[in-house]
Amino acid sequence: MPALRSLLPVLAFAAVYAAIALVVTNNYYQLMLTLVLVWAIFGLSWNVLSGYTGLVSFGHAAFFGIGAYTTALGQIYFDVSPWFLIPVAAAFGAIAGLLIGFPTFRLRSHYFALAMLAYPLALYYVFEWLGYQEITLPMKRENAASYMQFADHRVYTLVALAMLVVVMLATRMIEGSRFGMALLAIKQNEAAAEAAGIDALAWKLRAITVSGAIGSAVGGFYAVVLLVVTPVSVFGMLVSAQALTVTMFGGVGTVWGPVIGSAVLIPLAETLQAHLGARFPGIHGVIYGLAIVVVILVAPEGVFWKARDHLRRRRPLPAADAGPAPAPLPALSPLSVGAAANDPAPAARAEAGRVLLEVRGLTKSFGGLRAVQDVSFQVREGEILGIIGPNGAGKTTAFNLLNGFLKPDAGEVLLDGTSMVGRKPHALSAAGVGRTFQIMRPFPRMSVADNVVVGAYVHALTDAEARRSAAEAIRRVGLAAVAQRLAGGLTTKELRLMELARALAGKPRILLLDETLAGLGQAEAAEVIQVIRSLAGQGATIVIIEHTMHAMVRLVDRFVVLDHGAVLAEGAPEAITRDPRVIEAYLGRKWSAHAAD
Amino acid sequence: MTFRRKILAGLLPALAALALWAPSSGAQQPKEVKVGLLVPLSGIYARPGAVMRMGAEMGVEHINAQGGIKSLGGAKLKLVVLDSGDSTEKAKAAAQRMVAQETDLVVATGSYLSSFTLAVTEVTERAKLPVLTLSYSDQITERGFKYIFQTSATSGSQAEQSLPELMKLAVAAGGARPKTVAIITDNTAASISSVKPMKERLLKELGLELAVDETFTPPLSDATPLVQRVRAAKPDLLFFLPTVISDAKLMLEKMNEFGLGQGKVPTISFGIAIAEPDMLKTMTPELLQGVMAVVGNWGGKGHEKLIAELKQKYNEPWMTQNAISTYGDMWIMKSALEKAGKADREAVAEALRKMDDGPAKNYPGGEMKFDDKGRRVGAGLTIIQWQKGVPVVVYPSNLAVSQAIWPKK
Repeated sequence: MPALRSLLPVLAFAAVYAAIALVVTNNYYQLMLTLVLVWAIFGLSWNVLSGYTGLVSFGHAAFFGIGAYTTALGQIYFDVSPWFLIPVAAAFGAIAGLLIGFPTFRLRSHYFALAMLAYPLALYYVFEWLGYQEITLPMKRENAASYMQFADHRVYTLVALAMLVVVMLATRMIEGSRFGMALLAIKQNEAAAEAAGIDALAWKLRAITVSGAIGSAVGGFYAVVLLVVTPVSVFGMLVSAQALTVTMFGGVGTVWGPVIGSAVLIPLAETLQAHLGARFPGIHGVIYGLAIVVVILVAPEGVFWKARDHLRRRRPLPAADAGPAPAPLPALSPLSVGAAANDPAPAARAEAGRVLLEVRGLTKSFGGLRAVQDVSFQVREGEILGIIGPNGAGKTTAFNLLNGFLKPDAGEVLLDGTSMVGRKPHALSAAGVGRTFQIMRPFPRMSVADNVVVGAYVHALTDAEARRSAAEAIRRVGLAAVAQRLAGGLTTKELRLMELARALAGKPRILLLDETLAGLGQAEAAEVIQVIRSLAGQGATIVIIEHTMHAMVRLVDRFVVLDHGAVLAEGAPEAITRDPRVIEAYLGRKWSAHAAD
Repeated sequence: MTFRRKILAGLLPALAALALWAPSSGAQQPKEVKVGLLVPLSGIYARPGAVMRMGAEMGVEHINAQGGIKSLGGAKLKLVVLDSGDSTEKAKAAAQRMVAQETDLVVATGSYLSSFTLAVTEVTERAKLPVLTLSYSDQITERGFKYIFQTSATSGSQAEQSLPELMKLAVAAGGARPKTVAIITDNTAASISSVKPMKERLLKELGLELAVDETFTPPLSDATPLVQRVRAAKPDLLFFLPTVISDAKLMLEKMNEFGLGQGKVPTISFGIAIAEPDMLKTMTPELLQGVMAVVGNWGGKGHEKLIAELKQKYNEPWMTQNAISTYGDMWIMKSALEKAGKADREAVAEALRKMDDGPAKNYPGGEMKFDDKGRRVGAGLTIIQWQKGVPVVVYPSNLAVSQAIWPKK
């Protein structure tokens, strides 16, 4: 069972760690073993939000502190056991995550990071103002274990280990499901993710809720371990920084990163402090800082990724890649493509279809520039429509008006009779509009299959269904042989096809392709064209935007030519290539006169 | 020792196995007795920690020079210094290390900041290692712990004592008995716990009127509104409790500007922060002139030799509570060891509980005796005042080296 196999390393790690914890009788080392786990869990909490979405949080101490104070105050005032309070703390953390996320996700990148900074700072002063500058969890001399106070310190480590395993498995599940895929997609490119049908805000809120719950739970446990809670020890800047440090050191966006980071840095800092602190006060801070700087310079993405890349390079042919040589497409000569273009079938097919997409009077201005003015056209079911035009003709603007990234000033976009104006990209995607990007947005550390699955979630109810749709899409574009390879190692052509598969996986009713042939050589372009044609042959409706007319002539059923933001001409390829207005727009008056001869 | 240190520098798992092998204390009398000092030596509290270490080293030196622990055949004290760092987590880890690795340690002192002491004693209590502390927090000795001994008066007790003592001081210095009080405090733990009992109860009991009551969050950006309120109310006493030096500076500068400085409105702080030598790095002696502080302990009359030695050896201009109390702690340890007659934690703890050495030396007021909670019986306080660039003891009279500057009737 593949799911079990991916859990195996986590369980193996836990078993080894538990074995070490059980033989260590020195309580100081046992405390270190516990703290390593505490900070690893807190790092994972940070990772769920920031590692996967790329939205860096400088304020995770907010969750940590809420958990710590919930646990401490609950025991002091209500004599409730931490066994019960830590889950309560997790619930509070989840609520705090929602409350924090909702306003803060309006901000992006560094604005988000800075805004997050404010929450623990504010809470710090609130708890000071409430008079909780120093609180201690009452010592229980009887029934201590029921209050999580253990004489045998190994139990603390085992409890922490159980928490870590739960969090690691949860993270693993998130990583492998549509949740994790959605977050990764948002991290790589929020626009692309939205286009693939991902409701970014909803997923981000889920991420911060889970992250907050984990952060607060481990904060509660930290209070139990330390027994003393002060605002600075749980809401302080250094607490937030700790989460970042262990994760960035170990590896961002992987379940192992925080664990590696914590396992190296916490004992290192403590050992330096213990052995140098009393003799050369402060020097341990310098050494510790330098060590982090060096590692970040050598392995900017963290130890885990560096090590993994290194191992992959050492054995370049893992089992998955050693399959039959990739020969996805029949070798096509330009000649055979030309022959295919002469095939009269597509035109006939287009005539028969009903109108799927209708654009009426679309207009958009940027300040004084009227980028698109009064553009109207129709796309029939099963047709390949090419939108072409010289640089600055308004193609990209028109395209973005179609897929919801821009809102038109006037005009309508009707998909099967329903107006799509004002819908967000992910809503449009759900309605059946798939798209690719001019600049490719692969998720380089994910396999081709995983890249495509991201796009499949729009219509798939279950992960299994999404996997099936993705596999189907990959087969249709002819990438089945490289499905398990990392996207980072693909050629430009393969990336283009993968993007196509990602858009296809969502089972769109209409496919918008943005300069899919850009950057490809003639032979490669021919292969991609062949794939697009085969898709059309299977009944797909495609709108393709392209700068060069050359390759398109062999592909499309019909052209819409834009110039200066307006429709210049519309018609079959043969007619368009001979149209003097089009030639003039592309090549200038001289050539159009020449063509007229 | 160095061999062991070297091993300790190794990796955690390797150490874990080694830790099982712990040096066992032999049956014969030891040549030296290990006592611990667990204080911040790195981070933002490194400075007070360093001063505590000076006091401890001087104490150990003096005791050893006078023949060590006589009941243990003249065994010498050996100071084991541990860094509690700058966070409760580090303090707790250091305490855990102390009890796990320094197994032949019989008694310790620490850890400056109340929250560190709280965290440290959670560990030492469970390890049954007796610990002395100069931290003020009432909580330290309110948890029912048996192995903690607090030599300073607690914050609550200091607040309780300080007002009546200040009344006495005012009269003794030739002033009128104060009637109105202003309180300006920041919102840190120590400051709040000092003013809380005053506001809730003590002012009323002494018939004092609270004319100004202001709490601010450090750092202060402008002290003008605060000082204006003081000027308008003209209180007989101003309690001013800053934690951050820049806040103290801002406030005192404004007071001088408004003609309220130099002791014209008697200004009283709590804790030693306002009397640290560092203050002179940012403020002139004139600015500080007349500022008073209620502190748990201070080197004064009868400590001249110690103060001179501290100055000569460590270049410390005066003896703050950190130095004098930690110095005194070494002598308490010696006394307990003499009575215990063996280098054993439990025996030393028991000796501390039963200690009755008469009037306190090295600490203000009370006796060398601890009550059930572990608080020094009758622990008093010291009032110091900046005079010509030096904070000098002005109260109680047996420690005072100078008369207080106070507005005359």
